[in-house]
Amino acid sequence: MILKSKTSILLFLALLLPAAAAPVHVVYWEKWNGFEQQAMQAVIDKFNASQDRIIVDYYDQTGQIDRKTLVVTAGGDPPDIAGLHERNIATFADAEALEPLDGFIRAEGLSTAQWLDRYYPIYAGICTHGGHVYAGISTPVIETLYWNRTLFREAGLDPDRPPATLAEFNAYAKRLTKHDPKTGRLTQVGFLPQDPGWWPWIFCDWFGGSLYDGHNVTFSTNPANLAAYTWMQQFTKDNGLDNVKLFSSEFGPWASSSAPFFTGKIAMIFQGCFYDNYISQFKPGLDYGVGPWPEAVPGVKDFAMAEADVLVIPRGAKHPREAWEFIKYCNSTNPKAQTREELQGAELLDYLQVKLSPLKEWSPYFTDHNSHPHIGMFRRLASSPHAVCVPQIGIWMEYNREVISSFDRVRLLDATPEEALAYSQDRLEASWTRYRRSLERHGQWAALGEVHP
Amino acid sequence: MERRSKLSRAVVVTLLLLFSAAFLAPFVWLVSTSLKPIEQTLSLPVSFIPKAYFAQIDGKRTEVTLDFPVDQSGAVIRVLAGDDAGKQLYLDDARIAARPKDYAVVHVVSPGSWHVSQRLEHELGTIGPAPDWDIVPKTAIETRVKFRWGNYPKALASMGGGDQPGRKHVGFWTYLGNSLTVAVLGVLGTVISNAIVAYGFARLKWKGRDAFFALTLATMMVPFPVLMVPLYGVFKAFGLIGTLMPLWLPTWFGSAFNIFLMRQFFRTIPEELSEAARIDGCSEWRIFWRIIVPLSTPVLVVAALFHFIFTWNDFLGPLLFLTRKDTYTLALALQSYESQNGGVQWHYLMAASAVTILPVIILFLFAQKTFIRGIATTGTKG
Amino acid sequence: MTRGEKKQLRAGLGFTSLWILGLGAFTAYPVMASLYYSFCDYSILKGPVWSGLDNYTQLVQDGLFWKSLRNTLFYAGLSVPLGTVVALGLAVLLNCEVRGKSAFRLLFFMPSIVPVVASAMLWLWIFNGEYGLMNGFLNPLLAPFGLHGPAWLADPAWSKPALIIMSVWGTGNAMVIYLAGLQNVPAELYEAAEIDGASAWQRFIHVTLPAIAPVVAFNAIMALIGAMQLFAQAYIMSEGANGNGNASDGNPARSTLFYTIYLFTTAFQDLRMGYASAMAYVLFIITAGLTWLAARLSRGRNEGAL
Repeated sequence: MILKSKTSILLFLALLLPAAAAPVHVVYWEKWNGFEQQAMQAVIDKFNASQDRIIVDYYDQTGQIDRKTLVVTAGGDPPDIAGLHERNIATFADAEALEPLDGFIRAEGLSTAQWLDRYYPIYAGICTHGGHVYAGISTPVIETLYWNRTLFREAGLDPDRPPATLAEFNAYAKRLTKHDPKTGRLTQVGFLPQDPGWWPWIFCDWFGGSLYDGHNVTFSTNPANLAAYTWMQQFTKDNGLDNVKLFSSEFGPWASSSAPFFTGKIAMIFQGCFYDNYISQFKPGLDYGVGPWPEAVPGVKDFAMAEADVLVIPRGAKHPREAWEFIKYCNSTNPKAQTREELQGAELLDYLQVKLSPLKEWSPYFTDHNSHPHIGMFRRLASSPHAVCVPQIGIWMEYNREVISSFDRVRLLDATPEEALAYSQDRLEASWTRYRRSLERHGQWAALGEVHP
Repeated sequence: MERRSKLSRAVVVTLLLLFSAAFLAPFVWLVSTSLKPIEQTLSLPVSFIPKAYFAQIDGKRTEVTLDFPVDQSGAVIRVLAGDDAGKQLYLDDARIAARPKDYAVVHVVSPGSWHVSQRLEHELGTIGPAPDWDIVPKTAIETRVKFRWGNYPKALASMGGGDQPGRKHVGFWTYLGNSLTVAVLGVLGTVISNAIVAYGFARLKWKGRDAFFALTLATMMVPFPVLMVPLYGVFKAFGLIGTLMPLWLPTWFGSAFNIFLMRQFFRTIPEELSEAARIDGCSEWRIFWRIIVPLSTPVLVVAALFHFIFTWNDFLGPLLFLTRKDTYTLALALQSYESQNGGVQWHYLMAASAVTILPVIILFLFAQKTFIRGIATTGTKG
Repeated sequence: MTRGEKKQLRAGLGFTSLWILGLGAFTAYPVMASLYYSFCDYSILKGPVWSGLDNYTQLVQDGLFWKSLRNTLFYAGLSVPLGTVVALGLAVLLNCEVRGKSAFRLLFFMPSIVPVVASAMLWLWIFNGEYGLMNGFLNPLLAPFGLHGPAWLADPAWSKPALIIMSVWGTGNAMVIYLAGLQNVPAELYEAAEIDGASAWQRFIHVTLPAIAPVVAFNAIMALIGAMQLFAQAYIMSEGANGNGNASDGNPARSTLFYTIYLFTTAFQDLRMGYASAMAYVLFIITAGLTWLAARLSRGRNEGAL
């Protein structure tokens, strides 16, 4: 009997011990399926293999991952890591849905400033809100000018020389617009702001305007914003509303072989560094060029739009420390990597996803053997002091809806730019006032307000 | 019965046929799209029949996808020198004339040719090695009719984004299982709980009964958005967010509509049956279970059917309460055919939709008469 | 209370105990809580803070609230009458003894039981401006006139009509109800009218319509209440047609921003649960008003018909 119980105690301990040393499973929600998921899975595999305390489990949540994460965090059962967009950080942080990373950074023996110094400034800014670090970058994106060299050639323009100034851009756009001589319908257009039309706000920044000055909503009060919307409306006016509507109805989805840029319907487009992937998949053989944004504000060269997919730790996550370890891994590299196998962390992920790295220091292999055909251009733009991203304002979701709605009204000639901006400004000012009051009620505005410039 | 002349009968039949065509067309389109490869769903002119294209390439008859027409002459060239060395491009004549030394002409292209890709399947959102492409004259292309039955298993396999390595399979069968779980548990809860409650309102006389029943009816007016946010809080307090329970648990506690439905029916059962049983000393529960329930099969079936259709249909509930992918119902999983780069896999989506619609239609075919009688009685009573 | 009455009360409460629990937890509590939240600033991750009438005053001043209400009323105001007319018309046609009646009935009824997600996706595809069936059908018809099918869900002027057309496809269950109602009309009334020399059309106007008017009125009001709460179709279709996950704004140009969608966005994207609760209560009042109207109409007509 005693022997039996001893054996059973030993058995019990034998079972217990591995459990005590069992690796922690970190739940990671991400928005990708397809090759981007495979790339991240390769990084996860490398991370899992490099140590035996943590295993990261990837769960794909395509579509509305931001809303889902919010709902689940409110429900008290969030994932340990969520892959959001950079535009979510301010909203989520204000809603107290995120764990700040400051404590983890300090535990590494670094100040937050030292940690942030590893990034290009634009990406360092993306990771912070109200003076705290809330996120790490998973993959960065830069958007810039793409043009169809065949169409340039046909129009008598030098295919290797994109427009250098806004005036040139406008002239090129006109020159690249063609009509059917019999019916007068558009057969080709130089540029249309609604393709892809995902970020109309960038044109405001390009024109030297801004949407938020740190204190107030400046949508209609900054004159450069108005200039940008007027410029956007000009394309509809110049070509005729019905003509443009008819022409756009023939566009296929942006990620298909019948996309307007691929089928030669649009000659110039602003797109992200991921676009090269889609070109090689859907329209191999397309003769295209990648270049910097034309100079719109005199003296501002190398304007660029930056976005990023970010990694955050939702509040109430069960394994925040382990989650941090993975985030740290994805935001570090092997700076001396000479071969593909030596790539680690951020560089491995960005190599496989064919994007740039958000970190200042690039390993020799990543620099010289990069998978992206135009990586040099994107690196230059990422490091530019004139790179911008979405404003870090808590009401951004609503702001973006207003931006897009105004854009729709303006490009459909339903309203003048003044009217559209003024209407949105009123709504947003009311919203922002209410939002600030709510932050004050919850005792958060003081901390935030201090940090705003 | 009214007598009708031949002409008016013909008019009636014609109108019915026209409407039938209009009502049927979407179903036909659903099936037609589900049998096409993706590139043919995005092609003009609109056609119902899926096709397959074959072309002679390098002397072999290969199946190709028809990409876009090439409207100018030129050549497919291989670049020998310069930045694009090693690449295969299509260039027009002028460009080739400019740098003849850097190019090796693979073959010549005339206007009216078609750019084809030697791919048998398109998958939006996946990047493989750069596919082969070529440009062939129109006459070299052979067209056949080919139904892509393979879309159905592929659609079901990739529902919800497909498998993840090292994790148990979460796909169509999981979602179907979830939908069925919610449906079956919901139907059981509906039938059982509402029968019991309706008996209390219909066959018993007690103080405050009518007032309580009026209150019950009043709750039918409450729109779901009023309940949405606090319900979320209730389920969160019990730790049920993320499980399937919020979708079927409340059905075990009655619902106003079904109470009303069943009460109406119970009242049609003769009171004498209950009286006789009471005189014999039966408890109310026995009367309910032994007498009323066996006689109530019609209304119970109708309630069960209605509820099944409701849960199979329900979108807002799952959207709100389900967070983990392995708990999704079919309704939510149908949204997963939109890849995050914005492309929708229409052929798979239509195939999956067809499969989702099927159980309801089969159920309906079996229970047609009961169904229609149930709808008619609830609707006409007013 | 007598002992007998007490026993009856115990039995009654016993049988309805499940419902008492359900009513309390899943209806009464949420209704009260919503009312409370509607007077609070509540973002679900931070506790509710009393804010008085703030939400309601903002509601009145909120242009999007009115716009979403207008969109909803436009949709309901067109889809319900159109659906009723079509359903009634089909029921009348089917009521004439034709061959294959049950096959026709089956066909017209089926669309109404198709799961809403599946049918929304299907119609999203049908209304695709370029490759969809609707324009594939319309373009050849309009081409001789130099016209072109509209961009439907991508055109603010045509996005609501597209949803209305889709709702008409699903009026099968109303048709079944009306068919049953038509068959309940006593044959004697028709015979009497025929004896009086009434033509088919006159019989329809003076016998059929008054007889089924209560049923039609009741179902129309129920349909109206349902239409006011339109969510799933609009949510799925405006997301699919305009891409990029901006589903919550009823694009293009907020033409499909319906009441429940705006409510959902406010609650779960903007995290303004208090404001959303205020909106929910306004909807409650509207729905209650319509229900009361329905009850009055059907009772009044019934008494009149008798």
